Amino acid sequence: MIPRALKRLFHQISIGDQSYRFMFDPGPPDEAVAFDCETTGLDVRRDDIISIAAVRIRGNRILTSERFEAVARPEAAMKIDSIKVHRLREMDVGAGERIEAIIPRFLHFVAGRPLIGYYVDFDVRMVDKYLRGLIGIELPNPMIEVSKLYYERKYSDAPPGTTVDLSFAAIMRDLDLPALDQHDAFNDALMTAMMYLRLKDMKQRGVRIARTREVDRPQTTIG
Amino acid sequence: MPNAFDPNNPPFDRLTGPEMETLRKALDIGYFRPGETIIAQGAPAEALYVVIKGVVEERDGDEVTGLLGPKDSFDGRALVHGESGSAFAAREETLCYVLPKAVALALVHDNPRFAAFFYLELSRKLDALAREDEDSRVGTLMRARVRDMSLYPASFIDADDTIETAGRRMRDVNTNALFVRNGDQIGFITGMNLSKALVLDRMPLDAPVAPIVHYNVISLAPDDFIYSALILMTKTNKRRVAVHDGKSYIGILEDIELLSYLTGNTQMVAGRIDRAVAVPELITAAREIGEQVRMLRRQAVKVEAVAEIVSDLNRRLFAKLFDLIAPRALRTGACLVVMGSEGRGEQTVRTDQDNALILAAPVEEAVLDKFRHDFTAALESFGFAPCPGNVMVRNPAWSQTVDAYTTMFHHWVAMPDEHSHMNVAILYDAVAVAGDAKLLARTKAELMETVRGRSAFMVHFARAIDAFPMALGFFNKLVARDGQGDAVDLKKGGIFPIVHGVRSLALERGLTETNTAARIQRLVEIGTFKADFGRELTQSLYFLMTLRLDAKLTAAGTSGALVRPADLSSTQRDLLRDAFQVVKQFREIVRRHFNLGAF
Repeated sequence: MIPRALKRLFHQISIGDQSYRFMFDPGPPDEAVAFDCETTGLDVRRDDIISIAAVRIRGNRILTSERFEAVARPEAAMKIDSIKVHRLREMDVGAGERIEAIIPRFLHFVAGRPLIGYYVDFDVRMVDKYLRGLIGIELPNPMIEVSKLYYERKYSDAPPGTTVDLSFAAIMRDLDLPALDQHDAFNDALMTAMMYLRLKDMKQRGVRIARTREVDRPQTTIG
Repeated sequence: MPNAFDPNNPPFDRLTGPEMETLRKALDIGYFRPGETIIAQGAPAEALYVVIKGVVEERDGDEVTGLLGPKDSFDGRALVHGESGSAFAAREETLCYVLPKAVALALVHDNPRFAAFFYLELSRKLDALAREDEDSRVGTLMRARVRDMSLYPASFIDADDTIETAGRRMRDVNTNALFVRNGDQIGFITGMNLSKALVLDRMPLDAPVAPIVHYNVISLAPDDFIYSALILMTKTNKRRVAVHDGKSYIGILEDIELLSYLTGNTQMVAGRIDRAVAVPELITAAREIGEQVRMLRRQAVKVEAVAEIVSDLNRRLFAKLFDLIAPRALRTGACLVVMGSEGRGEQTVRTDQDNALILAAPVEEAVLDKFRHDFTAALESFGFAPCPGNVMVRNPAWSQTVDAYTTMFHHWVAMPDEHSHMNVAILYDAVAVAGDAKLLARTKAELMETVRGRSAFMVHFARAIDAFPMALGFFNKLVARDGQGDAVDLKKGGIFPIVHGVRSLALERGLTETNTAARIQRLVEIGTFKADFGRELTQSLYFLMTLRLDAKLTAAGTSGALVRPADLSSTQRDLLRDAFQVVKQFREIVRRHFNLGAF
């Protein structure tokens, strides 16, 4: 696998659409974007994006007032040639847009800012799939993985054999964050943003997350 | 647009749909680390914050004056009124919604109900809240319409018909008023008109009614609100109004129907008391008084009005009981008084007895003893618990002559024991309910004469306001995280300090009022404190009494003194915080006034 940095350099040179050069400029300092995609499944090659949501973070503030939200028209509808049928389908899916129209807007929203996500790699590869065809690049942005930040705060000094739980619910619980309805792209992006701010602050202050259950277990058996 | 933003969270529940959309679009989320200042003291407010998670401290200098938890918002008043009087800092990791000032102010400007939340004065906020309560209760009294009342039927006679015909018709259709046709005109005739015509004007029974008909018939539509009817009756001084549906007269509304609807059955209870000829009949009435409270509150009647109605009924009950069982010797030469909350007219739910008898002259011991026991036992049978401090007619110390009371006062003041101050307080709140009221006036005058100028006594008397000091962590309990936390004692923490502080100031000035609000009013008039503060103090007292009463009514069997912050709405918690701030200021005023710190 080619290292991402190398790919980035390659794409910077080979970019098809010059108007997207801004993607390679660093974003405004102290800003980042938390994002999440809802997809039809977990197979990047076969499945499609249903919706993308993203929210900017500036300093310690989540700019929910400057959000990005888009619902994609299912690909199935696009494959049907008949305009008649196509129109019908369009009516069915309501406000859905073609993914080809969503991706450019998403790029302008994100620009060079670091992308924050939970298992962000999957979401990035999902976007890359369309991006390669459209502009001839992959997302060049730095990536921040919240589960990795969480792992550092909680498990980086754990003794061997510790059960590691990096589930979204476990992170929410440990960070005592308000649970929003999950599997709504915007809520997921928002919760990811909250996780990020909380974990970033803990890291700066050197605060760790207690592994209560793992520590408690041997003690109770001894007692 | 955080979808999770709770539109039912006050004050945002007052926004319309489109306003809520505007709000959502403008909201950001801020993260604050422990100790981080969110708004500095004296700094201009740039945004309205609503806590999502975590705890925010409100500080005045070094002192923590409040804790805010999820759904609490700050600092709305600073936003509207300029800079922030308090500092706000995150106590732990905290997430807040951040609403930019411009958007918040635009909403305040466009929506008066939303704006009410940001008023500086507690009293205005409470008024707004009360209006909202009234608005939101479906089917409350003021929403009722004329057609919901029971109307007397519209029955017509001709102006040529005789007085006898009119009288018989009234009996037949069971009404007290008839419509009278006279050509194109429609007039009105009542039973009272007929009686007067016959008895006073000596008109014959077969005379036509024409001369006694009056034609200034006032009428309402069936869809009119009953408060219009009430206003119309008051303005025109009529006891009946006709109901006209646009085509014809359909009935007659009498004031008695209206009043019994508006006030519950208080009239009936009062009537039952007045008609009673034996003690057992009063037991039913006593029980009904208790039921009135619940009904009145359900009709959104304000707590001060509930207290007034209940006090009035209780006093009638006591007076009737006195009438029924007092021997001849006591009827003229004695005065029955009620004291404590009953005397102040602030009792809503029945508490224990606080009553006394004042004699003009010594009464034969056997006669007096019998009355003492009969009276107290009767009250117990009505459901008034005996007073734990034995402040009751049964206690010889509380049923003696004016002179004996005066001697007792001198003892209280000269050699106070643990009960003396409370005894003075209880008696100072006394009101005469039966017998010779002048005896109480004389006794109270003696009491005030005894304490006048006794500054050491007054200091000890006033000091009771600190009997239940507000712990430093008090506000922590009040607005603990997620509204959890220990119960707050409304009585000790709020009601008692107000009542007793006001009582102390009033006693020192020799005021004769007994009701706390009336005392505050007088203190304002003589310049003890400003009118604004007086209003705040009264409203705080009423708010605390309301919370307490409602808590009592929901959890029967409890005193209602303790409320759990979790059981309050976030608006109520906000108001409670304000009310306790007023109590705090007031304690300071009393402390300074009596120089309590110096002793």
